[in-house]
Amino acid sequence: MNLMNADPPEAARAEPDDERVLDPRVQESIGRSLKAHYDDLISAPVPDRFLVLLAQLEDTERRLKAEGGSDERS
Amino acid sequence: MSAADFKDGLIAEIPNLRAFAASLSGSMQLADDLVQDTLLKAWGNAEKFQPGTSLRAWLFTILRNTYYSLYRKRGREVQDSEGTYADRLATHGNQESHLDLADFRKALAKLPEEQREVLIMVGATGLSYEETAEICGVAIGTIKSRVNRARAKLAELLSIGGVDDLGPDRRITAAVQRAGPEPVGS
Repeated sequence: MNLMNADPPEAARAEPDDERVLDPRVQESIGRSLKAHYDDLISAPVPDRFLVLLAQLEDTERRLKAEGGSDERS
Repeated sequence: MSAADFKDGLIAEIPNLRAFAASLSGSMQLADDLVQDTLLKAWGNAEKFQPGTSLRAWLFTILRNTYYSLYRKRGREVQDSEGTYADRLATHGNQESHLDLADFRKALAKLPEEQREVLIMVGATGLSYEETAEICGVAIGTIKSRVNRARAKLAELLSIGGVDDLGPDRRITAAVQRAGPEPVGS
């Protein structure tokens, strides 16, 4: 991770595409749309299948532990 | 971290995983398969997660790797046959923002994957540039570059690219004018 810090953030500016500077209002508008897109997805109810799956995994692990003693998750 | 704590952590991240997976794959159905695979892998590799680091970033890394190794081709096929989820979601909000969101999603789906994923991560998930760079295995400068290109491309697709013009008309007007001299139905 620290290696990545060696890369100057401004390095990207060297690419021609990045010379286009967007109006801050355009950036804001895109930012709002991104949030609206993502928040709409995030607010969808979580299907039961995931909770069932995780409950099963947890049960299996608990059973393994009860049978095999120190067996860790996996 | 106990198994119960880890499980609670996973449950808390499911909405984010689904949202990211849908943004990446363009399909809610694929997204849920992808999330299930991600949860299974996360559970099986729980000992590799370092408590105190971002569980979201760790899970996104798994999800993204799974997507690129197993799902990308399927994603294209599903999109080709069913269209993207963009037309079907967005069930609440007023009509105007509903339409805006549908348009935005169509534009988002047209971005190259490498731009779309970083725009979502940086712009919507709360992940930092540094975390995003780590998840994608590239330098922070590359992430910034991709985000900039993604924004510029979106502005172009949504016709809000003008520096001093937020209205949708300018590019369209220009295009109409260029096409104008052709007599219609002669």
